[in-house]
Amino acid sequence: MASEAPAESNSKSERPTGKSNSERSAGNEYVDRSLATVVLGSLAIVAVGGLVQVSFGSYSMTLPEVWAAVFDPAVLLDPRAWESFLLGTEMPEVSRDASVVWNLRIPRVVVGILAGANLAVSGAIFQAITRNELASPYVLGVSSGAGLAVLLTLVVFSGAAAFLPLFAAAGGAIAFMLVYAIAWKGGTSPVRLVLAGVIVGTVFNSLQTGLFFFAEDLAVVQSAIAWTTGSLTGTDWEQVRLALPWTMIAVVLSVAGSRQLNVLLLGESTAKSLGMSVERVRFGLASVAVLAASAAIAVAGIVGFVGLVVPHMVRYLVGSDYRRLVVGCAFAGPALMVAADVGGRLLLYPIQLPVGIVTGVLGGPYFLYMMRKQQDVGEI
Amino acid sequence: MRLNDTERVSRSDDESADVSDRERANRPDGDRKQSDQSERQGGATESGHDPTVDSAVLAEDLSISYAPDADPVVECERLDVPEGEVTGLVGPNGSGKSTLLKALSDHLDPDRGSVYLHGREVQSYDQKELARELGHLSQENDSPGSITVEELVYHGRYPHRGVFESVDETDREAVERALDLAGVAHLRDQNVDSLSGGQKQLAWIAMVLAQDTDVLLLDEPTTFLDLHHQLGVLETVQRLNREKGVTVAVVLHDISQAARFADYLVALDDGEIYDWGPSEEVVSEQLLADVFEVEAAVSYEPELQILPKRAIRDR
Repeated sequence: MASEAPAESNSKSERPTGKSNSERSAGNEYVDRSLATVVLGSLAIVAVGGLVQVSFGSYSMTLPEVWAAVFDPAVLLDPRAWESFLLGTEMPEVSRDASVVWNLRIPRVVVGILAGANLAVSGAIFQAITRNELASPYVLGVSSGAGLAVLLTLVVFSGAAAFLPLFAAAGGAIAFMLVYAIAWKGGTSPVRLVLAGVIVGTVFNSLQTGLFFFAEDLAVVQSAIAWTTGSLTGTDWEQVRLALPWTMIAVVLSVAGSRQLNVLLLGESTAKSLGMSVERVRFGLASVAVLAASAAIAVAGIVGFVGLVVPHMVRYLVGSDYRRLVVGCAFAGPALMVAADVGGRLLLYPIQLPVGIVTGVLGGPYFLYMMRKQQDVGEI
Repeated sequence: MRLNDTERVSRSDDESADVSDRERANRPDGDRKQSDQSERQGGATESGHDPTVDSAVLAEDLSISYAPDADPVVECERLDVPEGEVTGLVGPNGSGKSTLLKALSDHLDPDRGSVYLHGREVQSYDQKELARELGHLSQENDSPGSITVEELVYHGRYPHRGVFESVDETDREAVERALDLAGVAHLRDQNVDSLSGGQKQLAWIAMVLAQDTDVLLLDEPTTFLDLHHQLGVLETVQRLNREKGVTVAVVLHDISQAARFADYLVALDDGEIYDWGPSEEVVSEQLLADVFEVEAAVSYEPELQILPKRAIRDR
């Protein structure tokens, strides 16, 4: 895919000027070459990254063994196996290799895919409703709210750990509602929303750190820290089952809402003039974004920068039309997440870095680069 | 020259009666102005019937402010936007033109008073329903990074489409019509970002035209444009009014242009309506001195013309 993308852009620039533009808007068809490139490229990255990821682990296997296990018909074609993955029923007897790969390693990739899609789509929605390219679940306090809820569960109500993801979603929603309430003043504005997000995020982050002092068990602190940095280590099909339905709902709703997002991008006043109930639509879409972010945070912890960087990169590639952007994010998010997780695994091998650290380390410089390159960063 | 309230109200009754008569008679456009004139001279007044149905937009006893405890920015007893005419809102900077337009388009809730569109209070309309009858273009519009003129104009169809409905033939026709009317059909595939200020404004006007509304409120559509594009925008507005019978209220900076292009003028001074009526009756040397603080010569023949001379320093 790496060789495919530059070829694409070259052939485009060779054409007479204006052609690519007319191509894009022709007949209002929104699947154009740039989107197809993003989707196919992302799929390729996920496939390659996934295969690399499942090749590593404490139970050592050769590469051909791993591949044979991944494409083992005894698993792939057995509905009972899928039932066990997706519904949690009993797993049928398979070879030891297949069992290791399918039960221990593949879930990690799948959770990465789901979390990546959720965070990217969530970020894209938040950026549209706040009309701010710097908005993301993290900036708007959603991640901090979810994180605080998780820490509270781990440290204070340690008996309720089974309900961790639910608490995360509730925390994220509460934080966002707080942000919305603080920003509300007969309506909301992008600037007030972001500022309120910073306020709530700061307070919640402080509370998170403060909670460490109340933890009596060091192991709890360690798992809490791993969680707040975002990690895919140790995820299994249970996390997939947990996140999958919410992910599907969130992605379908955001694709359905993409036209509303496009109209919101024209500005509040224009959206209202065009007959949109701006506050209602904005609140509805924000709920979808909170749902998506919470689903990701519940299974993968607080992974920073994915919700910020992916919509940015996809926008750069396919333009700001949300019909394309949302779809692009749903594919590019998983690509970044899976690739970052592989990176975290290989970078200091055999030490594993949590995926959140990799995305943070990559995301910072990327944003710096965008800031230097673009004069009016922030404006969509 | 400044009219007192009762005179103004009674006169506006006159005017609205004219309008409704004309609507009922449904005369061809050609001799509209003439018959208008003769009726006005005849002074046929139908007093006593509900005045709210005669104007496309009517505001009564309006008081508008931006914060609950702040002083009102605009206060007016009554404002008419006559059906099927172009009404120009003029006044110096900060006289409340845009504020008034925001209240008329339900973008701003007045502290007091009501705004009626075709006899019905604007607040009672469903958002989309209102957007199908009343188009509003605000003063400053910024478009997202990469959007073509055609895509922008398609957004004008928003109030006509359900949430999950796709583009149909009616939408396509309305967009083509709007592109043609605004004269931006040849720019359809260009990014809005890459256009000049004037072309951008025309693209936005095309978007409002695609809304296919009976009433159009435009907030300073010509500000920041060069003369060529100013006239281009105003000619588009005029064509729309003449050919489609669309009622237009337009805030204009330049009173000479307003006098030329608008059938009616509303002159605002410091949040109050100084005068209201047919352009040739409203524009006077006195008005320019009182409202705009400009000494000017006004000639009425062969057509209304304003020649500004100097700013009046201390009053």
